[in-house]
Order: sequence, then structure tokens, then C-alpha cells
Amino acid sequence: MRGMRRASLALGLAAAVVTGVAGAAFGQADEADEGQLTLHVGAIDDIVSVNVFKACCTADYEMMLLNYNMLHGFSAEDLSPVEELTPGCEPSEDSMTWTCPIRDDATWHDGEPLTSEDIAFTYRFILDNKLTTFSDYLPYNPTFETPDATTLIWHSEEPTIAPTVPPYIPILPEHVWSELDGKPAKEIRAFEQIPLVGSGPFQLTEWKSGEFWRMEAVDDHFFGTPTIDEVVFHVYGNHEAMVQALNSGEIDFAYDLSPTLARSLEGDDNIEVNVQAANYHTNLAFNFGGQAKAHPDVYGTPPATDETNHPALHDHDVRLAIAHAIDKQALVDTVFQGFAEPGDTFISPDKVFWHLDVPQEEEYAFDPEEANRILDEAGYTEMTADGVRIDPESGEPLVLDIVSISNSVGSARSAELMAGWMEEIGIRFDVRVVSESKAYEEWENGTFDAYVWGWGGDPDPDFNMSVYISSQCLGWSDGCYSNPELDQLYDEQRQTFDREARKEIVHEFQQIHYQEIPEVVLVYPQTISAYRTDEWEGYVPTPSDGGGLLFGWRTDSYMNLKPATAEGPAGGPVADEGGMSTGLLVGIGAIVVVAVAAFVVMGRRRSEEDEA
Amino acid sequence: MRSRRYLLRKVLQAAATLAFVLAFNFVLFRAVGDPVKLLIRSSLRLDPQEQALLREEFGIDDPLPQQFVNYLGDSLRGEFGYSFISGRPVIESITEKVWPTILLVGTATILSTLFGIMIGIKGAWSRGSAFDTTSLLGSLTLYSMPEGWLGMILLITFAGTLGWLPAGGIESSDRLSGFAHILDLAKHLVLPCLTLTLGYIGEFAIIMRSSLLEVMGEDFVQTARAKGVRDKDIRRKHAVPNALLPTFTLAFYSVGFILGGAVLIEQVFSYPGLGQLTYQAIDRNDYPVIQAVFLLSSATVILFNLLADILYGYLDPRVKEA
Repeated sequence: MRGMRRASLALGLAAAVVTGVAGAAFGQADEADEGQLTLHVGAIDDIVSVNVFKACCTADYEMMLLNYNMLHGFSAEDLSPVEELTPGCEPSEDSMTWTCPIRDDATWHDGEPLTSEDIAFTYRFILDNKLTTFSDYLPYNPTFETPDATTLIWHSEEPTIAPTVPPYIPILPEHVWSELDGKPAKEIRAFEQIPLVGSGPFQLTEWKSGEFWRMEAVDDHFFGTPTIDEVVFHVYGNHEAMVQALNSGEIDFAYDLSPTLARSLEGDDNIEVNVQAANYHTNLAFNFGGQAKAHPDVYGTPPATDETNHPALHDHDVRLAIAHAIDKQALVDTVFQGFAEPGDTFISPDKVFWHLDVPQEEEYAFDPEEANRILDEAGYTEMTADGVRIDPESGEPLVLDIVSISNSVGSARSAELMAGWMEEIGIRFDVRVVSESKAYEEWENGTFDAYVWGWGGDPDPDFNMSVYISSQCLGWSDGCYSNPELDQLYDEQRQTFDREARKEIVHEFQQIHYQEIPEVVLVYPQTISAYRTDEWEGYVPTPSDGGGLLFGWRTDSYMNLKPATAEGPAGGPVADEGGMSTGLLVGIGAIVVVAVAAFVVMGRRRSEEDEA
Repeated sequence: MRSRRYLLRKVLQAAATLAFVLAFNFVLFRAVGDPVKLLIRSSLRLDPQEQALLREEFGIDDPLPQQFVNYLGDSLRGEFGYSFISGRPVIESITEKVWPTILLVGTATILSTLFGIMIGIKGAWSRGSAFDTTSLLGSLTLYSMPEGWLGMILLITFAGTLGWLPAGGIESSDRLSGFAHILDLAKHLVLPCLTLTLGYIGEFAIIMRSSLLEVMGEDFVQTARAKGVRDKDIRRKHAVPNALLPTFTLAFYSVGFILGGAVLIEQVFSYPGLGQLTYQAIDRNDYPVIQAVFLLSSATVILFNLLADILYGYLDPRVKEA
């Protein structure tokens, strides 16, 4: 027992020492931070890598947006291409050659000038080294020429609008990356450099994986010089902790909250909630079969198992009836707790210029009676004993194998709700919840009737449209949908240079897609953020109507933020300003430890005395 | 002779368990399907040729028996391949994340063992007293409380509402050095460590209490009393050393679980240790990382169990006789 008592004493002593020096030490920390204007942003996802060829998720793209520049940027109004490294490229008459003047005031973070040669190098580097992450942006085997430091000439084998799409490719410094040219893709993807040399308005200077990453403002950038000195992105393991950090003022901005937590912040005077226009859609995508045919071309082998799509899915009436039997508003209300919009076309509404808003009278209203009428008229009148309609052509009951993906937000719950609605119209949804890797296996072999997943995309609609092209079976296509009309429209828009004319084609494409129903677009989930209004002011939404404030397509908020005028200087953690001082806190901790130890020791003495 | 046989038996048992875990780990991660498929539609946009290259790189294009042999060799050499997501060697990530976890779980284990034992002894020795009743009730409550929930309550109270302590992380982003940095680490350690300590303490207190109560009824304690040994000495020299054995085993087992990390608590407090690494790897289907963590944590548990068994055998020779 003597050992035990010694331990108690040691604990008490240690605590006392900590108390004695804590105040002074934390004082130093506060001083060190003084004068630095730091924006603290909370996020759930960490960056995966500082290498742009490993970019995976929102955090990586935000880091990339701040650290690098691209040929074009995106406009604040409608995300159309605007001046960044070039004010705009001019096409030749046949649109196979584009000439882009490059600005002469861009420099790399290490002081070297950024020239047209860097841009040509980046594009060549991607193509020559087969870095598929960005190669889709460089179609028709382009070559690049740089007659001088401020001119880039883009040659294409076919007429193209690729330079103005624009390519979402961060421009890399040739003097840093050239040594990797020709190395295996694995080696290129493994390259890491901190501080990360780019040309953007902020530079990544520190990354502690799983903790935070720091981006420092660059002086005299051609975007301007921001008021804030640095942005620190803090990684949180869960939404609740991030909201608590926002409450206490540890962070100024919390990105991507759950609806429940967003509601809990309502009524707080110093916190504002931002609901961002949806930038992706969830879908019920039908499988049309054809994987077995495409498999040998794509993989060089036949698929592992036979495809199993239901023949009745080729009948437009069946898909139409299903569309009428889905209550999208109920999905919004129950699955997404109101933080989503009912979906119509596959280009989400944040792409304001390209999105086709289907008029309400043309939408597939939730109407089980109408759905039943359609199926009755189409001849699906025979029923099995348990009330499932039978396909008159194949004689198979309308039992559909529905795959939902366990880690896709809302997928399983949406599938479950839809299964209930389908019972009303004599269709059975047998829902399976599978892991993502299992879902890819099903997708590759075509062993499902429909899955509940989703798609996001770039501001330009090209990628989203490519999903529905015949040649994309086992590429981007969900269920090998094929429609020659859509294939033709897709090619046409790729070579239409007039933006308005291209928009017509993109709208027509969406119209046909909506009518033909290769998928039912279910909802557009929204992204919720919250920020403190007593720390900073001047957040700028992108796009300007209902857009997000950070983690978007532009750097406006970072460039524009200023300390909030009402409350004095910002940037320091409020916990150090308004909260209990750390010294006091550690003191309390020490007192508790000493008290417990004393209690045990004295209690023992007393009992010893009693016993003696 | 007998003790050597005991030692051999324990070592063989541990080796057999480890062999089973090794094989099971191999089968488990081959059963989830082709991991390269996960990258097809990710932003890496891998075409079939690149997928084939990756399969070759991960060594999953070989026949299964060949894969198993390679896997055994690699595992024994401590080579766990590269993360699918970050491309970094897995062992590098693990080495980086293991220290925060050892700091957190280690501190919590030491604190809960010390305080748990003290509470248990005091409760048992003054059985039926107000302290005993209160501490037993408290221990049972803490023992049965879900740690994640307790952590969340502490987080909301001390970080969110009162703003006294940070809501997560292992350190602040302020550029601190020296002693200020150490204190910053301590400040971030308080809540997760307190949660784990409270979570473990009940278990230690209860086991210590019941073990001591059992010993107090033993003949040798009665003999000591009959001989007129002072109560304090009976407790210190006769009862407690004998009653400490089960607690000692429990402490050893707890240390074995350190590498498994406190997945839930690290997630609640955004603490960048092995638990967080595991969670993220699962979230992103990063199989090489999951596989390595699984293997290493199982191996640590097995190793510490073996150590506990061996030491137990020496501390209490009756075990070896059995």
C-alpha cells in the first residue's frame, strides 16, 4: 500500500507542477498568435494527399482551388468560364486550333514566373503519362505549342470546344514536376511536396494528417491580396464535435452539417446557417443489360456471371409507372429531413445555365392511380397470388432486384420507401443493401435490375451527359442505356461553339432523358454549412443565387473576408478570449486529482485508526 | 520442468492463435471482392489497363495459393503494402498514428488501474459502508455506460457549452514549441483521457473489490488475524498482494488492446491515432490499412495475453500446477 500512497502523492505533485506553469505557458501561446488573422474552418474530411493526381474528395479540391490556378475560372453568376490564366481562347475557323493569350503577371509560390510553357507542360504531362484523373478534359489527342511565354496554342485532331469547357486541371510548375515526367503513374501519384508550389492565392504550408492543414495567403496575387493571413482547415471525426467547436468559437466555419445539427443552431444570434444549392442528384438507375457484350472489349474477359436484368424494364410504360409511383417530396422530407429538393433532370440546379427546369405540369406527379392505369393499359393485368403484376411478354412477375449502397447517403432508406410505394402498383422491389465494392461487381456483371446511387459533376455538363451515351457501357453508364438520339446530341454539343446554341442541345438532351427515363432522378441533396457572424464578415456565395460559401468553384469568400466590425479583431480562438483561462482550468484539474488522492489516503488512515 | 512445460504450452497456444488470425485475415479481405473495382468510378477514373496494373501492383492477380505465400512473407517482414487511397506505405501511417494512441490509451489505462485499485480496496475493506455502496454503484454505472455517449456528453459540456477545453484534435494549429506545446497536447488529452479513464475505472474497481473480498475470507487471512497481526498489515502484506492478481491480468489485457486503439473515443474527439486511422480506412475501403491494423492489433493482444499468462504463472505458482 505504501506504493499506492506514493503514487497518489506523485500524481498530486505532478498536477501541482502543471498548475504552476500552465498559465504562463498558455500566455506565450496566445502572444505568439497575436496579430495573425487566421480563418479557422472545420471539415469532416481530411485531404487525402497533397498530390493533385490523388485528389479524391471535396477537401482535396478545395486545397487545389486555393493552391493552384487553372486556364479558366468559373463565373460567380452561373459558373460559366471566365478569365483566370487566360482572358479567353480564340478558335480558328475549323475550331481545331485555339489560341490562348496567357497573362504575364502570374508567378509560382517560389518566385519563378508562370508561363504558357507551364500550361503546355501540365497538359502534355497528363496525356503522356496517362494520368486518367484529368485526361477526359483533353479530348481528340491535342498537342500544344508555345511560340512565346504568353501564348498557348492548342491543336486538336477534331473540332473541339475543350479549351473553353473549361478543363478543370490545376496548372503545375514545370520546374518542379518535370523530373517526374516519364516515371510510372504510381510514382507520380506518390510525389508529395510541402510547402506545395503552385500559383494560387494561398499556399499549403503545413499538413498534419488527421488534424489540420494550413494555407497561407500569398502577397500580390493577381486575384488581389486577402485580408486574412492564413486559413487553417481542422479535421473533425464527427459532425457533433465540429458544431461544438463552432459554438465555442474554436472554428469560424463548419462545412457539411447533418440536418439535425443544423436545426440545433437555429436561434443562435452569432451563428448563421447556409444551405447550398444542390450539386448532385440521387437516382434510381435501371439496368438495360448489355454488360456481357461489352465486357470482353473493356476487360478482355467475359463477365464472371450472366447478366440478370428484367426484360420488362425495356418497356417505357413500366419505367413511367415507376416514376409516377415515387413520392419525391416524401424522400426530401423523411430521408433528407427537408434539406434537399425533389429532382427532375440529371443536371443539378446549381448549374443554373445548363439545368433544365421541367415545368410542373410536365413532371411525373406522385400518382399511384395513374401508375396503375398505365400498367393496366400496357397489358400488365395478370397478377401472381401475392399481388405482383406479370409481364405479358416474358411471363415473369414484376419482381425487381434493387441494389442500394451502404455508404451512399440516403440510398438504403430511399430504396426501402420506394419498395413500399411499389406495392401499391403491383411491382415488388426486393431491396439489397450492399457495400460499394460489391455494388461495382454487380454493376460490372449487370446482375441487378436497378440501383439507388447518384451522380455529381463539373460546372460544364459534358461529363454528366456522357453517362447516358451508348459507348459508355461499363464506362460511366449506370445500366448500359443506349439511345442513338442522345449519342448524336452528345457529339453535337461537343462541337457547338456558341454557348446559347449549345445550351439548346443540352436542354434537348435533358428533355429526352427525362421522357425516356433511363433513370428516375430522385432528389438533389443540399449541403449545409454554418458560420459565426461575430468573427468574420463578407462571405460570397457561388453561384451567387443560393450557392455555397466555401468548398465551391471560386475563392471569393477567402479573398473578401474581413474581421467582423461589431466585435473587434477576429481570428483568435474564442475559447482563449471568453472561456475560462487554461491556467485556471488546469488548476481545477489538479485540485480534483489532489482531492481524490487525499480522500483515498485520508479515508484509509481513518479506517486504520478505527481498526487500531 | 513443470514450469518449462507450462511456458511451452502457452507459447504454442499463442502461436496457434496468431497463425489462425493470419489465415483468417487473408481470407476475410479476399472475401470482400476486388478492391481495384472501387477505383473505377472514383475520381481516379481508372481504365481497365490501369486497373490491371494496379492488380499486379497489389499482387492480387496471382493465383490464391501464391498470394497466400506472398502475404505470409510480407506480413512476417512487416511489409503491409501501400494505402489504396493515399498511396503511402501502410507501415508509415501506422508508425505515425501509434504514438498518439499509446499516449491516450496508455495514460487512461494507468490512471484507471491506479484509481480503480484504490477504490476497490477501500470498498472491500470497509464493506457495506457508505463509501462502498456509493463507489460500487458509481463503478457499475461507469462500467455499463457506453463510452461514446459519455464522451459526447463531456464534449458538449466542457468544449461546446463551457468552452473550457478544445472540441477535438491532439494539438492546436498555433505554432507552439517546447513546454507550451507539451501543455497544449495535455489540454487536448484531458477530455478523451477522462472519458476512457472513467470508462475503465469501474471495471478495475469492481474486480479489485470482489477479488479482495474473496481473499478476506481465506484461511491465511483468518490465521493472520488470529496471530494478532495488525489490520493494516493484514491488508497490506497478506490480502492485497493476493487479491491483486486478477487486476494485474486485466491491466495487462487492457494494454494489449492499445494497438486496437480506442476507435470510438478517437472518433468522438477527432484524435488522430490508430482508431481514427482504422475508421477512415473502413470509411474509404482502404483494405491494406484495415488489414494491417487488424493483424497488428490482434498480434498485440495475443502477445500481451501470453505475457500475462507467463507472468501470472510465476506470480501465482498454483496456475502452473493446474
